[in-house]
Amino acid sequence: MSDRLVVGVDIGNSTTEACLALVGPGGAVTHLGTALTRTTGVKGTPASTEGALTAVRRVLADVGRRPDELDRVLLNEATPVISGLAMETITETVITESTMIGHNPATPGGEGLGVGVTVSVLDLPEHPVGEPAVVVVPAGWDFDDVAGALNDAVARGVEVVAAVLAGDDAVLVTNRLHTPVPVVDEVSAVEKVPLGMRAAVEVAAPGRTIRTLSNTYGIATVFDLDPDQTRQVSPVARALTGNRSAVVVRTPSGDVTDRRIPVGVLELRGETRTVKVDVDAGAEAIMAALARVQPLRDAHGEPGTHVGGMLAAVRDTMADTMADGSGEAPGDIAIRDVLAVDTFVPAEVRGGLAGEIALENAVGLAAMVRTSRSRMQAVAARVAAELATEATIGGVEGEMAVLGALTTPGVQVPVVVVDLGGGSTDAASLSADGVCTAVHVAGAGELVTRLVDSELALDDREVAEWVKRWPLAKVESFFHVRHEDGTVQFFDEPLPSHVFARVVVLTPDGPVPLATRRSLDAVRRVRREAKQRVFVVNTLRALRQVAPDGDLRRLDFVVLLGGSALDFEIPDLIADALAGFGVVCGTGNVLGDQGPRNAVASGLVAAYANGLGG
Amino acid sequence: MTTLDAPAERTLTLRETGPATRGTRPDEVLVAVSPAFGDPFTQTIVGVPHAEVLRQLMAGIEEQGVGVRVVRVWNTADLAAIAHIAARLSGSGVSVGLLSRGTTMIHQKDLPRLSNLELFPQSPLLDAPVFRAIGSNAAQYAKGESPQPVPTRNDQMARPRWQAKAALLHLKEFECIRADAGPVELEVTIERAAG
Repeated sequence: MSDRLVVGVDIGNSTTEACLALVGPGGAVTHLGTALTRTTGVKGTPASTEGALTAVRRVLADVGRRPDELDRVLLNEATPVISGLAMETITETVITESTMIGHNPATPGGEGLGVGVTVSVLDLPEHPVGEPAVVVVPAGWDFDDVAGALNDAVARGVEVVAAVLAGDDAVLVTNRLHTPVPVVDEVSAVEKVPLGMRAAVEVAAPGRTIRTLSNTYGIATVFDLDPDQTRQVSPVARALTGNRSAVVVRTPSGDVTDRRIPVGVLELRGETRTVKVDVDAGAEAIMAALARVQPLRDAHGEPGTHVGGMLAAVRDTMADTMADGSGEAPGDIAIRDVLAVDTFVPAEVRGGLAGEIALENAVGLAAMVRTSRSRMQAVAARVAAELATEATIGGVEGEMAVLGALTTPGVQVPVVVVDLGGGSTDAASLSADGVCTAVHVAGAGELVTRLVDSELALDDREVAEWVKRWPLAKVESFFHVRHEDGTVQFFDEPLPSHVFARVVVLTPDGPVPLATRRSLDAVRRVRREAKQRVFVVNTLRALRQVAPDGDLRRLDFVVLLGGSALDFEIPDLIADALAGFGVVCGTGNVLGDQGPRNAVASGLVAAYANGLGG
Repeated sequence: MTTLDAPAERTLTLRETGPATRGTRPDEVLVAVSPAFGDPFTQTIVGVPHAEVLRQLMAGIEEQGVGVRVVRVWNTADLAAIAHIAARLSGSGVSVGLLSRGTTMIHQKDLPRLSNLELFPQSPLLDAPVFRAIGSNAAQYAKGESPQPVPTRNDQMARPRWQAKAALLHLKEFECIRADAGPVELEVTIERAAG
């Protein structure tokens, strides 16, 4: 019997990989080449055949073989896991009666604290001399005219202590005043500022933050409040913390509230018990509840609430992707794992006067569904027909991944592989006596992208994906950038003009500017924390489930695989987290040259060869 | 009391104070005007007074706490050339170039002459708030910040409608070129017209 030409094909959530090899009669394997392409459709459904064929044809073309030379195509039994995502805001900041303005304009004017009575610039000429005035200027006023009006009033003897402007004119006005006062500008809804009320305006020096209005007792001092009223204004002070400028208007019942939105109850049904948890309690409470009911049988959201909508949306998406006329209703789909992540969403404050943005708390939920049946057989039949060769299911994904990972130099049994994918994080362990166990937990790369997108308010999945994948830099001149670790790199050719002075993502196609005012450090922190909260948490969760007695210390080798293991920092974050447990952890290097890719496809070939040899 | 809706008539006086020199302060933006700016032309293609154009540009720069110098480039009416000459004279390396008809560009000294940081090619669409925003952005570039580019409006009809007038204005501007004169420093006085 001569050598056989076989190709292992792994259809994953986002990529389809192929590994071409010659298998000798005794099971000796000669690897010829590998290929990678995007998965078409949902893995394991007939739609994914197209991607599998592309991968096979590509690897054949690479090594100059014809499809009719193929002896066999080996497909993996795809893990019947599909995951979905949802995110819901759980807090909301509301300002009533326009009590405060805390939007941090880029360039306020003047410096210091001014306390007086709000008066429109139109009424300033009639303002009584004895009363300190906080002048409110509507939109459409020119800075020359505003400065003139204020100077006239001061000349008349009125004590002008501060000004609040609609336009971006604070520095211009201050520069033209004979006696400078603190000026806050860019208050878009300035017409809503109540007039004739006591108000305080504070502007701090550049690089400083306000001290009086961000302090509850500071506000109490300014407005002469009693203890009850002081209790009431404490949220105002908290909302203004960290600003360079602020306005507080004393109205009879104005308030700032940080309201929790009733999101609903999540019902987790476990093997033996059912636990209900309020989603607005946050991710920690949800994950604690989940730990109590393990293993999870299904999860439901209270109908008519946000969480009900969230889970229904996840179910519907899955029902759609699996829709094939078999009539599996959304209700039949059981959610088998949930990952909750605390996040925040910058949202416009309700009742705000200047488009103030508050960071509202939100919960992101990744849910995972196990499908009851696999349709790989159908895929195999179509592949066989298209390529006019034999196509078989060569093995189960988890086991194949372990076999592939074992081709990494320096790895031996017992080993655990962690596949950091797009939708789910999977772990499979092979013990010394050959027992293989696999677990799947919800949440992976896509959830990270989602968190980055919402926390940076990018509103662009593609850009968020880039932020996740590549390091950042700040373009400091046309000839040099400062990388996120502080090193400077110079260029001979000037950089493109649209990246000048911006925070950029260093993609392989060149720097891409981010549409954010945040500093490089802030973006980097968001990115790293998102990865930490998803991948590190999930890896530990998955490893605990496969480790003997749930004890991470009893693991020996952990090999990281999958697209996200190629990331420039995720493997380091995970290795850091595992360092304390004495585990050997690193990114796999399948076949010694494929990195963390191609493990399952190589594993399929290895399993086939073992079958021949054994 | 006047507002932006009914802008006060202001007069613009540009007095030459000598040859323009290279600035040393890193906190300045250079504004360079074309040969005919202010005299003989006094307004842009759509009638925005040159006094208001300069006032708003300079206000945008001042609001950011950045200094401004104004120069006139005599030997060309090409916007990229005007802006680039100014960028090389600017202490921060950032300049704003202005043509009489209103076309505007933000330039930086390290860029190739025909490139730019921001270009506002459709002069009929530029009004006072846009000039303010351009000044503000130029100043932010000078400070090394990352401003959002000023939204450029686009009007499909601007070209057919205004092209003839723009061509005539350009010819007239071209006639004011003094090929042998270098850039000169200008002292800007903007005063409210009497009455």
